[in-house]
Amino acid sequence: MSNATCSTATLGQNLRAGTVAKVGSTKRIQELNGMLHGNRPNVDITRAKVYTKVYRETEGMPPMMRRYKASAAVYRAMSDTVYDHEQLVGWPTKRIRGANFAIELHAHWLADDLVNLRNREYDPFEITDEDYEALEKDLLPYWKDKTMAVQWGHYVTEHEWNRAQFGGVSDVSNYLCANGSHFIPAWTDVIEHGFVKYYEEAKQLLAALDPNDPTAIDKRIFYNGIIEVLEAIRDWGERMSASCSRKAAEEKDPVRKQELEKMADMMKRVPWGPATSFYDAIETAWAVCFFLFVEGAGPSITWGRIDQYLYPYYKADVEKGILTPESAMELIEELYIRVNTNVWFQSSQMAYIFGGYYRYPHLDLGGLDENGKDATNELSYLFLRAMRYARTTAPTVSLMLHQKTPDSLLREACELAAEGMGHPSFFNVESLYTMLEHRAAGPDGYSNYTRKEIMKYGSPIGCVEPGVEGRQYGHTDSGIINVAGAALMAVTNGVMPIESDNMFAGKLLTFETGAPDSFKTFDEFYAAVKAQVKYAIEECHSNLVICEKLLAEQFNLPTFTVLLDGALEKAKDATAGGAKVNIGPTMQMVGFATMADSVAAIKKVVFDDKEATLQEVCDACMNNFKGYDALRAKLLAAPKFGNDDDYVDTIAADLWKWFSDCTIRLKMYRGHYCDAAIQMVQSNVGYGAMTGATPNGRLAGMPISDTMSATQQADTHGPTAAARSYGKLDYGAYSNGTLLNMWISQTEMIEQ
Amino acid sequence: MSEKKATIFDIGRYRNADGPGIRTIIFFKGCPLRCKWCCNPFGLSRKRQLVVNPFKCTGCGSCAQVCRQNCNTVSAETHKVITDFSRCVLCGDCIVPCQVNARSLSGDEYTARELYQEAGKDRAFYRRGGGGVTLSGGEVLYQWEVASETLRLCRQDGMNCCIETSAFAPWEHLWAVARYCNTVFVDLKHIDSGKHQELTGVPNERILENMAKLCEELPKLAGRVIVRLPIVPGYNDDNESIAGAADFVSHLAHHPEINLLPYHDLGATKYEMIGETYALTDVESRKKKDPRLQELLTLCQTHAPDNRVSLGGEAIDPKG
Repeated sequence: MSNATCSTATLGQNLRAGTVAKVGSTKRIQELNGMLHGNRPNVDITRAKVYTKVYRETEGMPPMMRRYKASAAVYRAMSDTVYDHEQLVGWPTKRIRGANFAIELHAHWLADDLVNLRNREYDPFEITDEDYEALEKDLLPYWKDKTMAVQWGHYVTEHEWNRAQFGGVSDVSNYLCANGSHFIPAWTDVIEHGFVKYYEEAKQLLAALDPNDPTAIDKRIFYNGIIEVLEAIRDWGERMSASCSRKAAEEKDPVRKQELEKMADMMKRVPWGPATSFYDAIETAWAVCFFLFVEGAGPSITWGRIDQYLYPYYKADVEKGILTPESAMELIEELYIRVNTNVWFQSSQMAYIFGGYYRYPHLDLGGLDENGKDATNELSYLFLRAMRYARTTAPTVSLMLHQKTPDSLLREACELAAEGMGHPSFFNVESLYTMLEHRAAGPDGYSNYTRKEIMKYGSPIGCVEPGVEGRQYGHTDSGIINVAGAALMAVTNGVMPIESDNMFAGKLLTFETGAPDSFKTFDEFYAAVKAQVKYAIEECHSNLVICEKLLAEQFNLPTFTVLLDGALEKAKDATAGGAKVNIGPTMQMVGFATMADSVAAIKKVVFDDKEATLQEVCDACMNNFKGYDALRAKLLAAPKFGNDDDYVDTIAADLWKWFSDCTIRLKMYRGHYCDAAIQMVQSNVGYGAMTGATPNGRLAGMPISDTMSATQQADTHGPTAAARSYGKLDYGAYSNGTLLNMWISQTEMIEQ
Repeated sequence: MSEKKATIFDIGRYRNADGPGIRTIIFFKGCPLRCKWCCNPFGLSRKRQLVVNPFKCTGCGSCAQVCRQNCNTVSAETHKVITDFSRCVLCGDCIVPCQVNARSLSGDEYTARELYQEAGKDRAFYRRGGGGVTLSGGEVLYQWEVASETLRLCRQDGMNCCIETSAFAPWEHLWAVARYCNTVFVDLKHIDSGKHQELTGVPNERILENMAKLCEELPKLAGRVIVRLPIVPGYNDDNESIAGAADFVSHLAHHPEINLLPYHDLGATKYEMIGETYALTDVESRKKKDPRLQELLTLCQTHAPDNRVSLGGEAIDPKG
């Protein structure tokens, strides 16, 4: 026993030291991988210090001006370290795997929890004593009563605040700590033209402003701010170039010296100016990605269809003879390794639900072109193959599948899948296009996207959210509805069972839909379930619109804004509606199968077979089934979702539709409509812990069902039966994406 | 008159043996043979049966409380329920109260159309790999009328159809089912009729005769026959028996493929679940890499040089 513990610990230490992680297609990649794994997640307070300084110096100025100045100041303060072996340039933090976290969002909880940060159960962070003291004495006291979450508290009652943070049914606690996220910048444009294009554009638009036009007043602040931020980006490039030159001057190895000179040269061109080669283009892709991760606080800065917009550079370089597939793959592997440095900094409560530091960078391969032809190219293969060498957690590599996907690409993707790392994700482009056509468009509406735009630029973001490059902005992963809990509320008349680890245990959490013995028919009970789901959605919505307003006024994001098609012309910040399509916030459903199984179990046991009353089911849930073993066995034996059984699948499909019907008719602060989604990968554990026993036989505190998958161990009829159950749901209605988790044992794979 | 029904003890979806691609396998209940090594004892009796899994049983006694025949008693020694199967009247009252799903009733009735609908559920998954439906058992020919109609419906719908059979049945029954098959797997358990009787309870003349006729007839309808030799150590794996079997197959029309099936004891625990005992407790399972199996493979190939010979049930070539 002690032996086993010892060897695991050694493995952990070796991993931390990077000695077991030295994998990659070349020596360079192996060394860089070792360097990545040699660092533990740590806190960098550069951004926090800069923001505090700027905010102290700018008190009384317009909020947008302060934000823009702070963003620019962060770029000017960023580290200019150049490490050995690397070919790409620039790091978001002083140390690798640092979190340059947004103090203006996190201070309220961090002020109370700083002491636990190093040792907390989920996602602990290293921090130097000096930085710890600076946070404790100086920075956190300044910010702790100014964060977005605190300000949102001014708009709601304490009871509402608690319900939305700790009730675990209608939850917005994720939202105000992770803004500036879920974004595919205008990659094609920024790589082709560089930031200089936006700089020129902003200058021209500023010069053309009519000082007598009352609407131009704010625009002047906007353009001046954008120009200041872009200048800071330009200067960052020059600083990095100088740093490479210094390093080259000191370098003894002639080959490495040449490399460093090449890097210095490249940094004079990009990301400020147009990319002239594949190498330049990859550097822009890297730099822009981490700028956005530092400016915003959330996850899912996405590369989108990277094999498409990088291909012209790849092709030209290969033709010129200055690039080989192997050297291109080496750059891709380095990109993979570097993007892992962006760790996600979250509150202890959210780390419990979203833990793992993972910040969901994402790229999409294959798919169709704007004319509906297969878009696969050599890079599609190289991006898949590179992950088999680099073996990193991020980014999420995904494949956009369609009827014309070449078998060879599918095979390459399956080879990667067989490595067991969770790469790649598979997306069906037909569903994706349907989702994008209805994105944020409300009931029966169509989004602002054209079909060509969708086909050329559309791809999944972050986890699974459909997006369009440079045309869409919105923190999509926002309101969370625990529908397993909502369905339980219909049984318990709105009360969270006393036998649960919840602030509202034994108290009214939602609202009363009728005592259990008041339902005469299944239809009456079913209406109560729907009413509880609707109530949770509407409560969530009322909170989210407040959040949106706060963000639009006080959480502006200049770098996101310049990378949005048309935002400069509109002179509108991303958070205030600068995008062509403004998403959400959206509603994510958690515990779908638990809800469907619960309702089906009640239909079967209470209303069809009449083996128990709803009052008895309610009492059983309230008491976590203590003394109700026989009833629990009956509930467990009822039909379960995921077995191709229409008894429960029709209920599931109907509740699925009901959820999206409720969300998509709600209008959001920035004018577009709310989208439905089902995608939470691991939060089913966190929400399960807060939820009492449910009528499907699940005990209190146990995980609820994950993503849109069947309840754990309930799908007993094999993968084809499960797939048929999933096939009964309407995917077009979930315009913010759906996610299915299916595991098939290796020995059960059938060769096709 | 109501439609004829067959007793089925399992319908397995997403199976990868007994035919190409992704398959649905329908297990017919009831068999005229009593092979000592049978790995599907639920398929032996034609009747419905109570199945109790002693490994899942926690000895909570819920089943003892509900049983009106007093079949179930909790053993003070093992803290598991002991079931007296002889008294069971198949009322099913003890199934749902069991919280660990240790109890079930084996044997549901289906018409041919219902079986066809079950098989058709996974139609979308058959297409790419040439998958379809396999009727197995038990002995499918025991309920040949429903089996024949099921396959007719499936074949008409474009599914790949296979059966797995002992061929111990009147030729008319065999042909009524086999004529709709892409592949018929037929077992040759021992070449010597006396030994065959000893091991399976029936002689093999009719089987050999049917096999010869089937190899003649089925290829005319573009179907094929695969002869399977279960290799049970110490019972039928001597050189003489295997060589004899291979000689016999080599003289059949159209050179049917031969599968040597390594012995496994995966069915052993199932006997306990229906209150019976397994006869072959002393025989060990063999892996495909086992040198003795390799020897027999070579031997078989020497005696049947024109037939494709392979080890294992999955090793069939996917065409057809």
